[in-house]
Amino acid sequence: MKLALSISGVTKDFRIPGSKRWVRAVDNLTLSIRENEVYGLLGPNGSGKSTTIKMALGLMKPSVGECSLFGVASDTPSARLNVGFLPEAPYFQRFLTGRELLRYFAKLAGLSRPETAKRIDALLEKVGLEDAGDRRVGGYSKGMLQRIGLAQALVGDPKLLILDEPTAGVDPVGAAEIASIIRTLKSEGKTVLLCSHLLSQVESVCDRVAIMGRGKRLLEGSIDELTLGTDSSSLQLDGASPELRESVAALAAAEGARVATRRRSLEDLFLELAKGGEGGDD
Amino acid sequence: MTTDSERLKWSLGRATTIGLNTFREAVRMKLFLAMTALAVCALASSFLFREFNFGSSELKFIADFGFGGMTVFGSALAVIVTAQLFYGEIEHRTAYTLLAKPLYRSEFVLGKFFGAWATVLCFMAMLALCLVFALWWRETSIMAEFPEEFVNGRRIVRYGDILGFAALQSIRIGILCAVVILFSTYATSALFSMVLGMLVWIVGQLQHVAVEAWATVDSLILKGIYALASFALPNFHLFDVGERLALGEALPGSLYGKLILYGALYGSFYLAIACISFNRREF
Ligand SMILES: Nc1ncnc2c1ncn2[C@@H]1O[C@H](COP(=O)(O)OP(=O)(O)O)[C@@H](O)[C@H]1O
Ligand SMILES: [Mg+2]
Repeated sequence: MKLALSISGVTKDFRIPGSKRWVRAVDNLTLSIRENEVYGLLGPNGSGKSTTIKMALGLMKPSVGECSLFGVASDTPSARLNVGFLPEAPYFQRFLTGRELLRYFAKLAGLSRPETAKRIDALLEKVGLEDAGDRRVGGYSKGMLQRIGLAQALVGDPKLLILDEPTAGVDPVGAAEIASIIRTLKSEGKTVLLCSHLLSQVESVCDRVAIMGRGKRLLEGSIDELTLGTDSSSLQLDGASPELRESVAALAAAEGARVATRRRSLEDLFLELAKGGEGGDD
Repeated sequence: MTTDSERLKWSLGRATTIGLNTFREAVRMKLFLAMTALAVCALASSFLFREFNFGSSELKFIADFGFGGMTVFGSALAVIVTAQLFYGEIEHRTAYTLLAKPLYRSEFVLGKFFGAWATVLCFMAMLALCLVFALWWRETSIMAEFPEEFVNGRRIVRYGDILGFAALQSIRIGILCAVVILFSTYATSALFSMVLGMLVWIVGQLQHVAVEAWATVDSLILKGIYALASFALPNFHLFDVGERLALGEALPGSLYGKLILYGALYGSFYLAIACISFNRREF
């Protein structure tokens, strides 16, 4: 199967202005995102998620390595034909209304006029901005900017959607709506790459996740693989009396197994890794 | 690996869409309001000369004044408006969403150029109309007062040439817009491209003086530097035809042709470098 997004051996160094030192934002990163997959890219602030996305979209060139979208090298404009992008903390032409902004982007995407009007109404409703569509974007709140940003990413009906922190600044209802939009997209056969800090949400929508730290990929796998590693699978006892529970625990302990009362969440794993990262390999 | 139908073609339509949106931004930024105020002030100040009442030579005075205003205000606006409209998109990170779309960066550069140029051209047209109106109005009353200065009662101001002058200044402004776009593609602030744009304007204006100095220099290296500078920078003095017009001279058609060609060459030269430089820019 063709990969929707492929990043192979990519490193990105930034020059610190005014000095001869460099920062390594992304360090020999390899990621493969299959078609019709919802992929979560996680990691603490500054771990290189946004930089990775920018290189994948051709907004930046990697210092080393290659990126491609649907098999087309990211530095050619054709690579972006089937991609929609919501940047981190997006900012749009303040002087346009929400509807005009979508019309502008639809025109750039080559949509025909009759098609556009219907599509824009549907999108505004989808992201919950049907009442704000005729107001200037300059007056939008942070959460509304995220919503109009999601709508503009969807306007060309892309096969791959790249969302950088889509729920930042969005209220919980909106965040749940975005999660449901992502699930719908998956059912329509689309691919989604999602960066988020809200791990519980990532957990509920992603097929696979990667955890990044200091520009490196620390872990990758399906949620189940990561949270139920072979040595940490858990056993759920329903309808067991406290006595039975105790004897099972005693038996397990005698065999040398640890008994945990709850499943390790993605958040626990994230915190562990982040701590490990701080402790430093250098 | 892509099929031919999946190859993105360079599209004039997308460049036009970006250009129109740029123009719309200028309209909504109330730039035109500010420009209209400027034009009205210019018109009002030319009316001040009503007090002098020195016959038909007053008309030459108003024409001179108007030509100077068009050149100075037009060039200053070209620098400020272009930097604002182009660099503004980078500064406010709106370019970021746009360039992640399937489009060529050169479409963005050209769209922005034409949008900014069109904005300044509207202002020039406004000034030219004001000037024509002021001259016509004064000429009519002077004709009534000093009929002996008008042979057979015919008007002496050539209004067509005033529009011609405005058209020539529009070419100068186009070159300046292209220069500012070029600077903006690697600038890290709007001020940077404004200051450099102003510098090119001034140097381009005085370049003919440098060319005279060049003739008297012996050093080959200096000669080389002069030659390079006079090639890389436009000679805006070529567009200073207001003097000739005010003296009642007619401009030959060949001059229009030459200056249009000159503007097209320099404009496309700067825009081509701007596209290359913008393609390398990281966001
Ligand atoms: N344009 C830039 N110039 C210099 N350093 C940068 C630039 N962009 C990102 N960085 C650095 O690269 C690192 C990764 O940043 P980023 O990709 O934004 O992280 P994340 O999105 O995971 O929070 C950070 O240390 C950041 O300071
Ligand atoms: Mg980020």
